[in-house]
Amino acid sequence: MQRKLFVVPAAVLAAALLVAGCGSSGSSGSAGAPAAADSGPASGTITFTGTDNAETYQPVIKAFEAKNPGIKVAYTQIPFDQFNATMQQRLSAKDSGIDVYTVDEPRVSQLAAKGFLTDLSDLDDQVKTKVSAAAYKTNHFRDKLWSLPMWNSTQFLFYNKTALAKAKVPPPTADPQQRWTWEQVEAAGRKAMQSGGAKYGLFMEQPEAYYQLQPLAESLGGGSGIEGDDALTPAVETDGWKKAMQWYGATFASGLSPRGIGGFQTGPVFSNGQVAFFVGGPWDLKIFGSSKIDWGVAPLPYFQGGKPVTPTGSWSLGINPASKQQGMARKFLEFATLDATGNLATTSTTTIIPANLEAQKQYTPKMDAFSGAKTAGAAAITAYESEHTAVSRPVSVGYIQFEEVMGKAFADIRNGTNPDTRLQEATRQLTDAWKSIK
Amino acid sequence: MKRRGQGLIALAFLAPALLCLAVLRIVPAISAVVESFYTESLLRGGRVFAGLGNYTDLLSNQDFRQSVGVTLLFTVLVNPIQVVVSFLLAVLFTQKAAGARLWRTLVILPIATPPAVSAVIWSVIYRPDGLANGVLERLGLPAQPFLTSSGQVLPSLIVLLSWIGVGYWMLFLIAGIQEVPVEVREAALLDGASAWRRMVSVILPLVRRPLAFVLVADTVSNLLVFAPVQILTKGGPNGNSNLLMYDVYTRAYAIGDIHVAQAEVVILVALTLAIVAGQFRLLRGDQ
Repeated sequence: MQRKLFVVPAAVLAAALLVAGCGSSGSSGSAGAPAAADSGPASGTITFTGTDNAETYQPVIKAFEAKNPGIKVAYTQIPFDQFNATMQQRLSAKDSGIDVYTVDEPRVSQLAAKGFLTDLSDLDDQVKTKVSAAAYKTNHFRDKLWSLPMWNSTQFLFYNKTALAKAKVPPPTADPQQRWTWEQVEAAGRKAMQSGGAKYGLFMEQPEAYYQLQPLAESLGGGSGIEGDDALTPAVETDGWKKAMQWYGATFASGLSPRGIGGFQTGPVFSNGQVAFFVGGPWDLKIFGSSKIDWGVAPLPYFQGGKPVTPTGSWSLGINPASKQQGMARKFLEFATLDATGNLATTSTTTIIPANLEAQKQYTPKMDAFSGAKTAGAAAITAYESEHTAVSRPVSVGYIQFEEVMGKAFADIRNGTNPDTRLQEATRQLTDAWKSIK
Repeated sequence: MKRRGQGLIALAFLAPALLCLAVLRIVPAISAVVESFYTESLLRGGRVFAGLGNYTDLLSNQDFRQSVGVTLLFTVLVNPIQVVVSFLLAVLFTQKAAGARLWRTLVILPIATPPAVSAVIWSVIYRPDGLANGVLERLGLPAQPFLTSSGQVLPSLIVLLSWIGVGYWMLFLIAGIQEVPVEVREAALLDGASAWRRMVSVILPLVRRPLAFVLVADTVSNLLVFAPVQILTKGGPNGNSNLLMYDVYTRAYAIGDIHVAQAEVVILVALTLAIVAGQFRLLRGDQ
């Protein structure tokens, strides 16, 4: 028996080596990769990687290819949940199979620091005149420009007209001056659950994402969660954060919002008519258009006694320094962002706000009619928020770790963990994670 | 001389496999060990030798220690359950009974589903308004939180992983049971041994060899569980499903600290080897 068991140790050894193999890959580069001197061939195929489905980028790719004969663009989608980790893995391995990729704006600093982005500073003057000051700023790190803003975003409060009417609750208006408070939303949501036929009162599209939850704390004056000169000091235990998270945790504990539903499953909860209020982005203006229920849009609520704050920012485009086709990659990048026609084409399938100001001017008025009468008011809300209430996510070299740690904290608070102690733990985790950056 | 020639030919045939082993397994493993002794500052740049710094950092990290605890608890629970259930199913499906082949196919079917797809299926089953709670409701039982509760998350994952794994391990045991000589079984029958007695005193000792393989291979595969955690729980709630393999991934690619992650990989390999060595010791003691 003993002799014949030899297969097993071999299997174990192989498995052990497999584990070891999984963790190893090239170490990341030093700060600030220099722009590649060689711009590569003038024709061929460049690869473009992002999180949206392929249809989203078909129009811009088509327009670009028509304008630049000889250059083809191949798009690869990596689902949002896995995007950041996969990119980290491929970029640190200096994978030349990616030429252009989408960059989440708060991540610009760390990606640039790690040498994962090509310096685009020679386009600085152009970018300054073509996008908003906030977008211009977030794409910079150490006074250099690393990525070009493609889109902008905001959040709306979607409401189920049928459920509210059934519960005899007057719906919120689209007027930003008469913005509802979260307290009003909660009360109306409960009524819709009692007598409006809704299963839940309120639901967020990304219930564990910092992007959507930052405005809760900011509305109560809790700050972004990051402070200090180097933006590497956690500040998530402020009164604003604690109050916001206590309220947020309670919405799940009381059944106003559902636990255990995440990722791609959240939108359908609203379009199926199961929830009275839903917080979502401009992309939903068209997605919900195919829903059978009747709905409308209103501005994002704020806390009573607090101030209205809305999220902003979206994807930028950057170039992988390991790309061997820098010249062609740059052409595509400029077309999709700085050229108004090209930038507008990126927003024709998925409804998202173009970052190019000229494209934005043409785009915003159309938002009112994305789903007929249901989306009336969306344009005015978008314009108002971007001018008065938009607060960017913090710019920090440690943002990637911050988002990761906070995402887990939000998930735990959602599942019933005490918010105060969980935020305290998040502080400890952030301090630990940021130690390796400093 | 002839012998040497033979050796060279054998080596030539083995060369591709050996080369792959070296390039794909041994070199990365060595690189992981080496890198685990270095550290790199994002703000200052440059790779610095850190000695055992990454290891001491890890050992003093509360989340890492919790992850080791969760992984050990998971290992202690999942392996005996899967091995026992696979064995019972193997015994059941080697009986001459109507439809045995059909049942066997149904049990094996989940193997053909990629782990990621299984996880997505189970995410719907475990949803608060999902299939599992629907069934409980029909039975007049209260709804359960499953993946959203610190206490139920690990058992829920064990059920999911057993749904995938049990059929696979059962295959090895069925092969083992079918090798038990018919005479032995008939002798036991003639002696009037009960079904239970035949299973425990005849079949069990005779399938000890495939059983040992299943136990060890199952243990290793369960120490490497990743996809369901990544897709369903992200290690939560409160780190209660944060298995080491997922923790390594988070550290390397989400937190982005590749060096500490490599130190963790080395610890995971050491832990795996220690557990498997322990199992061998126990199995040898039986002889």
